[in-house]
Amino acid sequence: MGAAITARDLGPVLHRPRRRRFNHLPYALITPASLAMFGILAFPLGMLVWLSLQHYGLRELIAHQGTWVGLDNFRVTIADPLFQQVVVRSLLFTVANVALTIIFSTLIALLMLKVSRPVRTILMGGLIFVWATPVIVAIDIWQWMFDYEFGVINYLLTQLHVGNFIHHNWFDDPLQGFIVITVVTVWGAIPFVTITLFAALLQVPDDVLEAASIDGARPWQIFWNVTAPILKPIFLIVTSLSTIWDFGIFNQVYVLLNQRPSSDYFVMAVYSYRESFGVTQYGLGAAIAVVMVLILIVVTFFYVRQTLQTAEIT
Amino acid sequence: MNPRKYLVGAIGMAIAVVVAACGGTSNTPGNESGTLTVWLMTGSAPPSVVEGVNADFKAKHPNVTVKVELQNWGDISTKLDTGFAGSTPPDVVELGNTMVAKYAAAGALEDISGKKSSFDNSGTWLQSLTDSCTLNGKLYCAPYYAGSRAVIYRKDMFAAANVQPPTSMDELLTVGQKLMTAHSSDPNFSALYFPGKYWYAALPFVWDFGGDIATQSGGKWQGSLNSSGSQQGLTTLANLVSKLSKADKTGDEAKQDAAFAGGHIAMIIANGWEIGVITDAKAGNPSLKDKLGVFPIPSHNAGQSAPVFLGGSDLGVAAKSKNQALANEWIELLTGTKHMSDMATVGGVIPNTTTMLSLGTGLNAIFFAAAKNSRFVPNSRNWASVESANVIPDMLVSIFTGKAQLPAATTSASDKITTILNGS
Repeated sequence: MGAAITARDLGPVLHRPRRRRFNHLPYALITPASLAMFGILAFPLGMLVWLSLQHYGLRELIAHQGTWVGLDNFRVTIADPLFQQVVVRSLLFTVANVALTIIFSTLIALLMLKVSRPVRTILMGGLIFVWATPVIVAIDIWQWMFDYEFGVINYLLTQLHVGNFIHHNWFDDPLQGFIVITVVTVWGAIPFVTITLFAALLQVPDDVLEAASIDGARPWQIFWNVTAPILKPIFLIVTSLSTIWDFGIFNQVYVLLNQRPSSDYFVMAVYSYRESFGVTQYGLGAAIAVVMVLILIVVTFFYVRQTLQTAEIT
Repeated sequence: MNPRKYLVGAIGMAIAVVVAACGGTSNTPGNESGTLTVWLMTGSAPPSVVEGVNADFKAKHPNVTVKVELQNWGDISTKLDTGFAGSTPPDVVELGNTMVAKYAAAGALEDISGKKSSFDNSGTWLQSLTDSCTLNGKLYCAPYYAGSRAVIYRKDMFAAANVQPPTSMDELLTVGQKLMTAHSSDPNFSALYFPGKYWYAALPFVWDFGGDIATQSGGKWQGSLNSSGSQQGLTTLANLVSKLSKADKTGDEAKQDAAFAGGHIAMIIANGWEIGVITDAKAGNPSLKDKLGVFPIPSHNAGQSAPVFLGGSDLGVAAKSKNQALANEWIELLTGTKHMSDMATVGGVIPNTTTMLSLGTGLNAIFFAAAKNSRFVPNSRNWASVESANVIPDMLVSIFTGKAQLPAATTSASDKITTILNGS
């Protein structure tokens, strides 16, 4: 915060042109992008909010005519104990998955700096391969690997004498089930974050690191006191993006559980989808989605503010 | 508005009128052109039957293109919701018989009561299917085909264990236990393979002891899976599952044919067409062809068989369709005597009329016979929501896994069903 004030104090000192003629060009240039953003994001979001204020079932969907109910959908949703569980579950899932994604990605990115060129190429190829696999295909493969009847994981664990995993059901106990979902989610999230962090690590000046090591800093201290602060803006961006993605998780849960997840496995997006398309209460489903957007705004606000402040300093 | 805009508008209107006229049915028969969109479910009709229907249709309406689009059961309610909500829905729609009431009540389907007599065999349609098409006394679809379940078993395994097909539920258990003993060295062996979410196969047990999913009185629904009859049936089933099945207690029946083909299973509860999947040259095991037998799900009363769930599909016309007359004609062809007999003989499904039940031959005859003693789910527009909410599968899973005691699990499910069925 101190930095922000300093920047503002410096403002008047800086040279400012007197009065510039209003320049249309920048606005003309951002118009197409703004229109696209409006069409793709703002309009559907507006419709979502509009839908959440109505009673909108199947009959209303087909007739294109809902009944205005004000905030009733929100009242019903928030009072629902299942919804409260779902929110807590989604938040815990997000914290665990974002943390694991960032930790593993950082470690792999640091590893990539140290290894020889051919190994780095292999690592990079593997990451790109994971990234390029269509998400549904990837989840289907994981689902077969963890399959109760035919899964290779159960077979391997049994062969390796970890225990008797023949006919072990990974989704019987929701905790185990969520561990599997976390594995699949983090696995899919690592490539983007790792490659981003690796690119950022290449930008860390060698002389600074050298100076630190000459001053007697241990590798851990160098990372914590030199590298990490330089990478802070990148960490903020990948953390906020991961938060947004993990909080909105849908495919991994829905596909891994054969499109019929029990209520133990409801996260916000799945719950919203179920209310909408499962029990055709589109108004309620929309209300859940709106709450989800609001929670995300609150959570990511912190990161975005940090990012903006970091940007102001540099 | 400047003149150019008027011109554009006028051309647009003209195009719209022409298109509507082309797709419309006001033209003299045989002269229509346009496209008739048909949604059928994967695996419902053999390709040869669909081709036959289209050929007959083409002969009458040479300028109409019929576009048959195959849909998957997995995401069908999402597809139907959005399809019906759009301004150009599919003209002909195949609907699972448990889904019709929901869409009819929402105004998605055309009332075809007046056209009932134009369909072949409409006087002898299977009662359960006709019921599924009827809401408040009006007909919203034509029965298409039915499916009912029986037990498929391995004759060779039965012979090796020296047992006969059981004729009562008690015998089913003792026969199963003998099979388990005979295969005690195989840790993967299931005498009766029963995945936990397989609710279609659980219902016969509920009905056989006089239980039901829900009962209606005075316009109100009351869930009854916790009635003493239902509980007795489910207790019997839970005992069979715990002693005879190694199937995933939280899984569904999607993989049961592949599992059965794998050779570690003596019995499954299945539809007639699943024999084809089990013995399929690519996905299954063709060497089992001569080793399969079928017997009806036995009742707890020795010598009788339990009532089974009559699954099946109906064909409806979208209320917003612009080609309703053509759509109706297409349905008349597919549900008519000529193509229905192909459905029964080539497709092996139970045809829509009692007059053709004798077409079932060999093993199919047992499945066809089972349809005679069949039951249906509560015919309410909210039933589809009970299915979507997975109420019964979740209840079965919690009973089989021991997560909840049977009385508590059935009461909780029953309450949910009461709430959903009576919902607005």
